[in-house]
Amino acid sequence: MKIHIQYYALMREQANCSHELIDTTATTGRELYRELSNRHPFTLDVSQLRIALNGAFAELDAPLTEGVEVVFIPPVAGG
Amino acid sequence: MRHFRFSNDAIDAASETQATHNPAAGGFASFEGWVRNLNEGRTVARLNYEAFEALAVIEGEKIIAEAIKRFGILTAHCVHRVGELAIGDIAVWVGASAPHRAEAFAACRYIIDEVKHRVPIWKKEFYTDGDSGWVNCERCAQPTSASDHSHQSHGHSHPHPHAAHPTHHPEPTAEAVVPAANYSRQIVLKDIGEAGQRKIRSARVLLVGAGGLGVPAALYLAGAGVGVLGVIDPDVIDASNLHRQPIYTQGTLGQSKALVLKQHLNQLNSEVDVRAYVARADFKQLHELASGYDMVLDCSDNFTTRFVVNDVAKALGIPAVVASVYQYEGQIQVLTPSGACLRCLWPEATRDGLVGNCQEAGVLGPVPGVLGALQALEAIKLVVGMRSPLTSHLALIDLLSFETRRLKISKHPDCDATHSAPARGDQPILEVLSLDDAIAQSLVVIDLRNPDERHAHPLTVAHRALGSAEILANPSLLDAAAGAVLVCAKGVRSRALAQELTGRGVKNVYSLKGGLG
Repeated sequence: MKIHIQYYALMREQANCSHELIDTTATTGRELYRELSNRHPFTLDVSQLRIALNGAFAELDAPLTEGVEVVFIPPVAGG
Repeated sequence: MRHFRFSNDAIDAASETQATHNPAAGGFASFEGWVRNLNEGRTVARLNYEAFEALAVIEGEKIIAEAIKRFGILTAHCVHRVGELAIGDIAVWVGASAPHRAEAFAACRYIIDEVKHRVPIWKKEFYTDGDSGWVNCERCAQPTSASDHSHQSHGHSHPHPHAAHPTHHPEPTAEAVVPAANYSRQIVLKDIGEAGQRKIRSARVLLVGAGGLGVPAALYLAGAGVGVLGVIDPDVIDASNLHRQPIYTQGTLGQSKALVLKQHLNQLNSEVDVRAYVARADFKQLHELASGYDMVLDCSDNFTTRFVVNDVAKALGIPAVVASVYQYEGQIQVLTPSGACLRCLWPEATRDGLVGNCQEAGVLGPVPGVLGALQALEAIKLVVGMRSPLTSHLALIDLLSFETRRLKISKHPDCDATHSAPARGDQPILEVLSLDDAIAQSLVVIDLRNPDERHAHPLTVAHRALGSAEILANPSLLDAAAGAVLVCAKGVRSRALAQELTGRGVKNVYSLKGGLG
């Protein structure tokens, strides 16, 4: 299944890109994060970030569908 | 011995120092406030201090107890003069002794700042021209140049932070006539108009943080003519701040951000009643302070304060505009009493140190400039009653690509019942003060630093190198029975991780305070 991914903040930096298109067998955001963690040096625990599917916040265990856009949003503190 | 007292007689610094001696002390720091011969261009001949002693002693003792607890020092005391003083006399003396110098310095600074801010002491100055006048804290505390900063006379003060505005400053009143010309460019907007301007004029907005976000937010709100603008920030200006806080200058390094910002805002718009508070925003203090305001802007740089602002806004039923930045991007959200709050978005208590702040991750100066200006914009919309598209939404703004997103946040079903209580989920932090202490307690040393940091300052004691993510994914890597001490460069990451793990029920996890350097 092909999906579009967008990263923000710390995760963009760790993935070294803001967008990518990947082919995955992951069925949920939680599984996807685990899979991506093998490719990118992510340091956040999955409980500390939020995901959005097609422009709306979603639970980590919500199902992924073909062509979905997944946005990973870590919290940001600076000011 | 009492920790805080008043003296009618000259302060003898040597005997005060003697009284602070402690065999366990490895460091001692003291501060003396002296009577200066000049204040605001007038030559001072002598002055007189008066205090509401019964109340002042209670508050003074409280401040020192806070310093002892907060910084882990051995002891501290403070003596303040009352009565008539001559030029050069010691007006106030503070001393703190601690195992190490850092805590002694920090505690000493904390005590004098808090005493100036909270203890009810008044000063009457007698000028060489025969005139005299009561002077309040901020006018005296505001150094006029970097060179006289270290010799500034020690002036006081207010019985209550709410009173923190100069007595000579014009009070805004309902009758005050706003010169239309000042605000004509915004009054001409049909959503503002004269009615909107009157709402702006009667608005009271509190900014938490006078840094990268707070500076632009404050400038635009003062320019717009907000009636009362409060600014709370405990920090002094550092050279590394200037690129993103450009109203501060090389000449104001080391001075209080809140006070320098206030001075600037007074020059920008004398009609605005600007109130500066040199303090850190903990729940109790902010709750008390914010009860005098209609709205709070969170312009802080850490999660602890962001959640305090959220909880206070929820508890008081007032809106808050929250923003934060990371490198080239920012997040902004408007909290309203009936909408989703910060804890609805980040239900797991997010810890400082797990994601980078400006110091660790870097930031380009204009980025907080943009986000801070947006906070002022949203605040004005709320004040005049325009719809804010950021209510119960998070806006993600990437200033590298100019991509923006607005995501709806669902209000948690228990939000109103549970999201306003203070300090939820913050477990007590277990810290050790030195590696020697950790080894004496047979703790396993876990080095969280990256390879570069490890190379720069190699550890000479037995240890294991593990990443934060590795440990979070598998806390059983730490042998809970033996106990572990987490170490990093500054003590921030290790503290955050120890807090997170303790919160998850992992036992015997400690953090090395201050890190390895």
